[in-house]
Amino acid sequence: MDLKLLKTQEHKRRVKFGYMWALFCAVLWGLWYIPGTVVWVLNPFDEMYGEIAATNGDGMALVIVAVLITAFNALTVMLALMVWNGALGKFGEMKRTLKEFHPCSKWFFLASIFGGPMAILGSFIAMGFVGGAFAAVAALMYPVIGSILAQKWYGEKISKRAFLGIGFIILGGITIFGGGVLSELGSGNVAWIGYLGGLMAAAGWGIEGAIAGKGLDIAEPDVGLTLRFVGENIIWWIIIVPLLAIVGFPMFKYALLAFEPMTLLVLIFAGITFGFCYVTWYKSFPLIGVGRGQGIGNLYGLFAVIFIFLFFGDVPSWTILLGGALCLGGSTIMFSEDTGEMESLRGD
Amino acid sequence: MVQTQAAMEAYNAYWVNSPLPAADVLWMVVILVIAIVALWQARTFVSQF
Repeated sequence: MDLKLLKTQEHKRRVKFGYMWALFCAVLWGLWYIPGTVVWVLNPFDEMYGEIAATNGDGMALVIVAVLITAFNALTVMLALMVWNGALGKFGEMKRTLKEFHPCSKWFFLASIFGGPMAILGSFIAMGFVGGAFAAVAALMYPVIGSILAQKWYGEKISKRAFLGIGFIILGGITIFGGGVLSELGSGNVAWIGYLGGLMAAAGWGIEGAIAGKGLDIAEPDVGLTLRFVGENIIWWIIIVPLLAIVGFPMFKYALLAFEPMTLLVLIFAGITFGFCYVTWYKSFPLIGVGRGQGIGNLYGLFAVIFIFLFFGDVPSWTILLGGALCLGGSTIMFSEDTGEMESLRGD
Repeated sequence: MVQTQAAMEAYNAYWVNSPLPAADVLWMVVILVIAIVALWQARTFVSQF
């Protein structure tokens, strides 16, 4: 067997794994909406919302409770990633990457700033001030920002076919949430801060992907993502939560009350889905590129609708079926791309 | 903090309309199965590259 054939086979296997990781990301991201939704009705978050809303209004209560839930989410994601890295025997690699701050870790800490307080909090703000459908559509735009940044910054190639596939998936996502967006926007009295939140989500996840793509040139995705969540935990638990406690919100009182079996169980499942979805997202980037990884990852909108129907019984409307067909069409366009096009992801 | 009756009623209400049996437990089983498959594939990936 000649060397060129072996190289082609190896490349095909890498692309196959890349798409598989991006698909795992979409499925797990879609599943995350189950624990991510039900945790809001459990205590202490339910009572915390009531206490803050009574003095500061519903909008402020939503953002503050979202901060605490996101901080706990980051904590349980860390635990899930420790299990992931332990099972793959990567603790030694983690120590090495952490020590190499200048070439490696700085990218993942930077990614945590854009992914955590910018994208995740922005998404919660958009949900609270405009609505869930708007937040989901706004976030669907992130592959456009991610792929443009990756192309301008380090010359990542994005073929016309891949861009067409991303376009179809985004159009499908907009159709899925379209009805909800129109009713949310038509209701009037929408605060501008909600739109800012939507922009934060799209820009934050797009920038995070491009930064991660750069960091993953020299670091393992499993380890890199764990360091990114170490960064996010520092931001939430050492900076933002104490700052909110200093300005008078009951952060630590309710944080301590969260150690209750039912709440912890739901938070742990949120951590498993979010942690594993993020790590598979990062794993897809070096194999198929940031643009394609984010494009396929965007199928989370379709999977979220499917899982919400299966577990909550919310029946999908015709717009969801049409949007789902567009998403599948976009994925097929990307999956069926000749792998030879991706032999070099950086145009060299 | 122990869950109040109102909180548990709101939590249980989520699964009432599910077409699947025992949806309140099944969602956790589905997550565990997919997570284990992902981890198994990650180990396969490590051994191949």
